[in-house]
Amino acid sequence: MAEQKRIATSKVAGTWAWFFQRFSAVALIVLLGIHIYISHFSGVGEETGEEPLITFGEVSVRLDQLSYIVVDYLMLAMVLFHGLNGTRTVLFDFEKFARHQKVIDITLFVVGAVTLIWGIVILFPFITSGG
Amino acid sequence: MKISDFKWLFGRNSEFWPTNMKTGMWAWVGHRLTGLVLVAYVFLHLSFISTASLGDGEAGFDDLMATTSQPLFVLMDFVLVIVVIYHAVNGLRVVLFDVGLGIKRQKLVFWIAMAVVAVLVVGGMLAIWHLVFPEGVA
Repeated sequence: MAEQKRIATSKVAGTWAWFFQRFSAVALIVLLGIHIYISHFSGVGEETGEEPLITFGEVSVRLDQLSYIVVDYLMLAMVLFHGLNGTRTVLFDFEKFARHQKVIDITLFVVGAVTLIWGIVILFPFITSGG
Repeated sequence: MKISDFKWLFGRNSEFWPTNMKTGMWAWVGHRLTGLVLVAYVFLHLSFISTASLGDGEAGFDDLMATTSQPLFVLMDFVLVIVVIYHAVNGLRVVLFDVGLGIKRQKLVFWIAMAVVAVLVVGGMLAIWHLVFPEGVA
């Protein structure tokens, strides 16, 4: 009975992982489109920099706007989930790694959490410089 | 550990030996390889952005951006463009099958997806090429 319950729970978790992998996939296509457009085609902030160089000043001008910050941080969160959950899927297709599921799950979670914080912090110089 | 231990994975009789793979399998292997490349790229991308938080800050970031806008690096960006486009379009194909569309014509859907990839890659090439060959191609 207990065993049955455990399997059922992991199935639910698996379905969520599956769903969010698809959800983040579609979200990333949209976000990446926006990211590439504002970074390389929109020309926002370019008056401070030498085209085609990306400069600190240029990026600071962009990151003065809340919408740019939201896009970048949203992308960061989505890409970390999608990338690390994808890595998990690839790893567990190998018996060698599937045997250590719990250790790998915890490791990937910690890597994701730490990288999320790292990714948030490294934009602070751009955001606080005031463009 | 001997190389022959991996025969089940890479050997002539394995599922992954190129001529033993079917269309969907190619797509699947490609999706995983490009996925792992993109994970590596995300970490590289974040570490480049971190230069603005380190010692030299602003100047360090600008120096790095000047280096990475040189033709060789832009060419590597173009490889990244191909990898991203393949992963994105093939991923959409997977989502399509997940919601139950096109499975019966999966081979056709795969080749349509690859045609879309080709068109987008050419578009990306046109957008990026003047940075790879700033002096123009003779």
